[in-house]
Amino acid sequence: MISKILRTTAVSAMTLSATAAFAVEKEAVLTNYADIALATYEDSLITAKTLKGAVDALLDAPSAENLQAARAAWLAARVPYQQSEVFRFGNAIVDDWEGKVNAWPLDEGLIDYVDASYGGPSDENGLAALNVVANPSFDLSGKTIDAAKITPTLLEGTLHEADGIEANVATGYHAIEFLLWGQDLKGTDHGAGDRPWTDFASGDACTGGNCDRRGEYLQAATDLLVSDLEWMTAQWADTGAGRTALFEDVTAGISTMLTGMGSLSYGEQAGERMRLGVMLNDPEEEHDCFSDNTHNSHYYDGLGVQNVYLGQYVRVDGSLVSGPSLSELVAETDAALDAEILTKLSTTMMALGRIKLAAEAGYSYDQMLASGDAKGEALIMGGVTGLIDQTRSFERAVTALKLDSIAFEGSDSLDNPTAVFQ
Amino acid sequence: MRLTYSCVISVGLAAVGLSSAHAADDLTQPIVADLIQPAFDTLAHETAALADVAATSCHDATASDTALAEAYGRAFDAWITASIWRFGPTETDSRAFSLSFWPDNRGKIGKTVGALLRSEDTGILAADEFAQFSIAGKGFYALDYLMFDTQAQTLGSASYRCALVGAMTTDIAATATAIDADWSTGFAEQLSPPSARYQSQDEVRQELFKTLTTGLQVDEDLRLGRPLGSFDKPRPRRAEAWRSARSLRHLTLSLEALKPLAQSLAVGAPNLQDKLTRAFDKALRRAKALEDPQFAGVSDPASRFRVEALKQEVADIRALVAAELGPRLGVAAGFNALDGD
Repeated sequence: MISKILRTTAVSAMTLSATAAFAVEKEAVLTNYADIALATYEDSLITAKTLKGAVDALLDAPSAENLQAARAAWLAARVPYQQSEVFRFGNAIVDDWEGKVNAWPLDEGLIDYVDASYGGPSDENGLAALNVVANPSFDLSGKTIDAAKITPTLLEGTLHEADGIEANVATGYHAIEFLLWGQDLKGTDHGAGDRPWTDFASGDACTGGNCDRRGEYLQAATDLLVSDLEWMTAQWADTGAGRTALFEDVTAGISTMLTGMGSLSYGEQAGERMRLGVMLNDPEEEHDCFSDNTHNSHYYDGLGVQNVYLGQYVRVDGSLVSGPSLSELVAETDAALDAEILTKLSTTMMALGRIKLAAEAGYSYDQMLASGDAKGEALIMGGVTGLIDQTRSFERAVTALKLDSIAFEGSDSLDNPTAVFQ
Repeated sequence: MRLTYSCVISVGLAAVGLSSAHAADDLTQPIVADLIQPAFDTLAHETAALADVAATSCHDATASDTALAEAYGRAFDAWITASIWRFGPTETDSRAFSLSFWPDNRGKIGKTVGALLRSEDTGILAADEFAQFSIAGKGFYALDYLMFDTQAQTLGSASYRCALVGAMTTDIAATATAIDADWSTGFAEQLSPPSARYQSQDEVRQELFKTLTTGLQVDEDLRLGRPLGSFDKPRPRRAEAWRSARSLRHLTLSLEALKPLAQSLAVGAPNLQDKLTRAFDKALRRAKALEDPQFAGVSDPASRFRVEALKQEVADIRALVAAELGPRLGVAAGFNALDGD
């Protein structure tokens, strides 16, 4: 796999040297973009396999050390994956798939035991407290489900988004995160979830009940994450559907890059994930709430946007994937706009970096969300402002590169006026 | 005007950017003067009146508290009409989020308002404290829950309920006044580029065009799409403000606010203006004929199709706007807050 990436990169580098003297070719920019997507998903896969190894070790020999090692592997796995989120919007193949691996927020009571303060089934979700780990059989929409064995198929086919409710997240990083950390019951005080390692112990040492089934769930969810990432990695290889779709219309392909950057920055990250949390003062509005890893989640999302613009990505082995960039393409048309975008991306990364450094020094993201904590609000809103501001410049790039007409084609109602009746 | 624009059409997109700043001003300024500023003036006026009623004539802050409910209805109407203008002053200090936290797909409003009514926490009632409070306990949708939810109506003493409504309506009025003041004292100037916010007239046009496309998207995807859910799984409880039976009313108010914007953006293109007017009128007629204020009919196959048909009318407006108005203005749809999940 790695050698394939090097080969692809080498080809794109040759393409560049042949044409760079005259103009930045859109094809070359797209090739480099697809190479970065491939490298990012491949790194996500590599680190997920490491996580699987750590989970296997934990379940073979449950111990505090092995639980800690699995948590460390999960945190490492998030580094490349979060940088891949910029590929989600714009690339339909990613957007249709990503709910399986990164759905959030979740009603974790679906999966395992929760604190009494969590409450039972809610108005929005009758399955919010189902607790599959404790129940080998249960009713779902009037049908009895046999969950005697917790398998990837059960999670993926039956439980995930059960009853059509998005908060029923049975698979992916956040389900695994909940199993490794447990609920964070400290509200807006410092500290993550602290599930005891004995929740995976056997015999009398088992706490929380059903340790075997909990282990089975963790294993199934981790296996599924690996297979889902294998599939997505393949979509960006030489003849993968994600890659080839970009080249059907190279101008639309460039538009896809900017759509991903703008949609992640504005609607998703600045709005849904960051600003809403501040305004609700709600620690459940943390993206990686069980592990208290939200500062990294936001930071690497932002970095992914910058990666796409600069055409550069640092792999988990430290090597650099780089090539013809969107930055060069914009600079060719409007050098001032390119400088503006570079500055704004740096400003955003500085703001997200401040959140990360404060969190790593002990002032965690949930503390920043506390009502009336002006400095926490200022830190988070610094990131929000940067993300909104850079999106304005991405809109300018859409105009400068004359991608306007492409942008009109994204509307569901235009593409498929009868969709509403389906 | 008309001549300028017909020239622009005939030479296509590239020329739009070259049309004189004066012509573009003629496009923008009437929208600001005739649509935006009156909408926020009315909002400031009606929300002040609501805060006044809450302070002077609140009985128990339930649905049957007539004077309060009426003032609430007028203020909420004013917000829905003004709410399409989500840029500039509404976004400063996240003001629009404080006025309207919807959709609340995590059910945070019920939890937050319920907890306040159970604990009768008076510590948060002072204006400066309340301003810092979670948006799940603030704004029109929290007020709607407090006054109209059947369970919430039974919670808390009448005096605490009225005190909480007092804090909520004072906060709403202060926020509305701040937005209105920004529009009348400076932000309108930002819309004459080059300004700190907009580099060119095209960027102003894009903002206004985005207001129209986003507004229509909210109507189709959120106001209608959320309660419709799927045929097998309709979601009537996801209708906007269903507790006060204002769901259909909000859709109508929104379309009525978006219609003159669409017409103004198509100024100089009478054929397109006619088409837009007809498309909006068709949707508004269908909305009027629906007689289903909460979209409760989504659960019944016999009436569901009528809500689906209304959604299709809005989709048709969106398609027309995207296919004909966008290219005419020469601007892209841009990014909006609905781009995420």
